[in-house]
Amino acid sequence: MPIHEKSLIRPENLVEHEELVIDGVDVSGHWSTFIEGRSVPDYNEQLQEEIAAIGGGENIHRCWQCGSCTNACTVNAINPDFNPRFWIYLIRMGLEEELVRDRDIIWQCVSCNKCTYACPRDVNPEGVMKATAHWLELKGYTEMKPSMVFDEEFSLQVFNTGKIEEGKVLQKFFKRTNQPLTQPWLVHLITGLVKRFPVFYLMKLGWGAVFHPRTRDWGRARDAINEYVEERNAEIHKALNLDAKGAD
Amino acid sequence: MSKPVLVVGGGPAGLSAARALADAGQAVVLVDKEDRLGGAPILSGYAKLVPSHEWAKDAIGGMVSGVEGHKMVTVKTGTKVDKFDGDPGNFVATLSDGSKVEASATILATGFTHFDSVNKPEWGFGTYPDVVTTTQVEQMLSTGAGVKCPSDGREPERVAILLCVGSRDRQIGREWCSKICCTVSANLAMEIREQLPNCNVYIYYMDIRTFGLYEGEYYWASQEEHKVKYIKARIAEVTSDGKRLLVKGEDTLVKRPISIPFDMVVHAVGMDPNVDNMTLSAIFNVDLNKYGYIGKPSTYAHMSETSRPGVFVAGAATGPETIDDSIAQGKAAAIAALISASSTVREAAE
Repeated sequence: MPIHEKSLIRPENLVEHEELVIDGVDVSGHWSTFIEGRSVPDYNEQLQEEIAAIGGGENIHRCWQCGSCTNACTVNAINPDFNPRFWIYLIRMGLEEELVRDRDIIWQCVSCNKCTYACPRDVNPEGVMKATAHWLELKGYTEMKPSMVFDEEFSLQVFNTGKIEEGKVLQKFFKRTNQPLTQPWLVHLITGLVKRFPVFYLMKLGWGAVFHPRTRDWGRARDAINEYVEERNAEIHKALNLDAKGAD
Repeated sequence: MSKPVLVVGGGPAGLSAARALADAGQAVVLVDKEDRLGGAPILSGYAKLVPSHEWAKDAIGGMVSGVEGHKMVTVKTGTKVDKFDGDPGNFVATLSDGSKVEASATILATGFTHFDSVNKPEWGFGTYPDVVTTTQVEQMLSTGAGVKCPSDGREPERVAILLCVGSRDRQIGREWCSKICCTVSANLAMEIREQLPNCNVYIYYMDIRTFGLYEGEYYWASQEEHKVKYIKARIAEVTSDGKRLLVKGEDTLVKRPISIPFDMVVHAVGMDPNVDNMTLSAIFNVDLNKYGYIGKPSTYAHMSETSRPGVFVAGAATGPETIDDSIAQGKAAAIAALISASSTVREAAE
C-alpha cells in the first residue's frame, strides 16, 4: 500500500526491500514499503533523578502535564517542536531515547521565564530546560554550546578574582570558540571608544589591562566558592554515573 | 419503645447505623451472613485506610467492639434473612437460623462485591501469578508479609498499577466509576515506595479521580514526596516474556505504543453490586437500579429510603462508596429508621 503521509513518519522507520518474498508473495519495492514500529521498549528509571541532580531540575517530579509551560513559551510560538511539557514527561517517565532525538532543539530555551510564572505546581520548567541542556552536554549527546562557554568563562573569572573584566571574558570566549578577536562590531566599538573617550579614561583602561585590579582579601572567598563548585560538580557526576571529567 | 430495628450487614455502614440507633436507646438486631462483623475492610484484610491512615483492624475493629458490647444490640453472625414480610412498624423477618424477628424498620447495609479480575482476561489475572489485585496488595501489607511477587517471592523492582479494572467499561457492562480506586491506588503506591524504596511504581490511568479532598494528600503527595509516576494510558494487554510481565498499551502523551517489562501488575479492582442483590431485592421487595445496586430515590426529600416504606439503605449497597461516606449514610439511615419507627408508634396511639 502506498503511504500518503510520509512526512508524519520518521525516515529511519520507512523500510523498502528491493527483493523480498514473504510466504510466496512478492513484496519487493516501493509498493510494499513497511513502517517499522516505534514502540517504547523500556523506562530509564534514573533519568528523572539525573535531571533533578542538576541545578534547576530539582522540582521536575511535581509535573502533572497541564501544558501551561508550553502554552506560555516564547520559543514554542516560533517553533512548535519546542515543547517543554513533552520533554518533562519524557524525563519523568525515563524515555531517554525519545528525549535525545530533540537534542538540537532543547537548548534553544531563551530563559524568558514565562513558564516559571505560569506553572501551577512550581516545577520551574525554565530550570528544567537549562538542566536538560546541561545534561545533554554532560552525557556527550551535544557539544558545549557557545553560550555555555561564555557562562563558564564569566563565572570562572568572578570566582577567581571577585570581579569581571569584559575584555578578558571576550578574549577567552572567542579563543575557546575559535572565533577571531577582530570581530567587526568589536573593532568598531573599540575605535569608537578611542576616538571619543577622554584621554584620562583611556589611560586608566590601558593601565587596568596591564595591571589587573584585584579584589582585596578575595583568597578565602575564592577557595570557598571553588570548594562548593567542586562539591556540586562531583554530586552531578555521581548522579549521572560519569567519571570526574565527564562523558568525553 | 417500639420493636427493634433490623440492620442487615455488619460493615462500616451497618455498624454505624446499629451504634447510632443503640446509643439513641433503640433496640437493634444486627445480622451478617459472614461469621464475623466488620464487612469488606475486615474480611478482605485492608491495610491502612483512606484518609486517616489508621489500620483497618483498629479503625473498623473499634466500631465492631462498640456494637458487639452494646446492651441494646443483638448480633447474629453467620445468619441471613430468608423472608421479610409486613408493613412499617410491623415487619417480621425470618432468619436462616429459623428464628423470627419482629422489627419496626430495617436498614439494608449489604455492601458490595469486589470486581473479579478474571472477567478482564487480557490483563493477565489468573494467567500470571504476578498479576494481583489491590485487595491482595492490601493483604500483603496488613498481614506484614510484605509486597512480594507471588510467583517466586522476590521483591518487585517495578510495579504497575492499572486503574479502572472493572469500572468505566461498557465492554463488561460496568459503566460506573468505583470512586475509591484512584485514591486507594495512590495510597498503596506510597506504601509500596515506603516499604521498598528501590521499587518504582507506575500508575496507568485514564483520569485521576481522587474523590473528596484527597488530591493534596494522595495525588500530589504520591508524586511529590514518593515519586510515583502516572502514565496516561489504558493498557491493551498484559503478557509475559517468560521472565517478567510485559505491559502493552499506548502512552497517549507521547503518542507511542509501549511494551514495557514489570515484575508485578496490580489491578485496581472496582466495586460491583453485591452478588446477592437479586436475592435481596426479591426478599425485601426493593427495586434495584439499572446497574444492579439497591435503588434510592432523590436525596433531597428521601435520604436513606428505598422503594419500600420502612426499608432503608446505607453505604455501598447503593453504589460505590467510601468508608467515611458509608459511615455517614449509616447514621443518616439510623435517624430515618428512628423517625419511621416513632411515627408508626404515634399513629397507632392516635
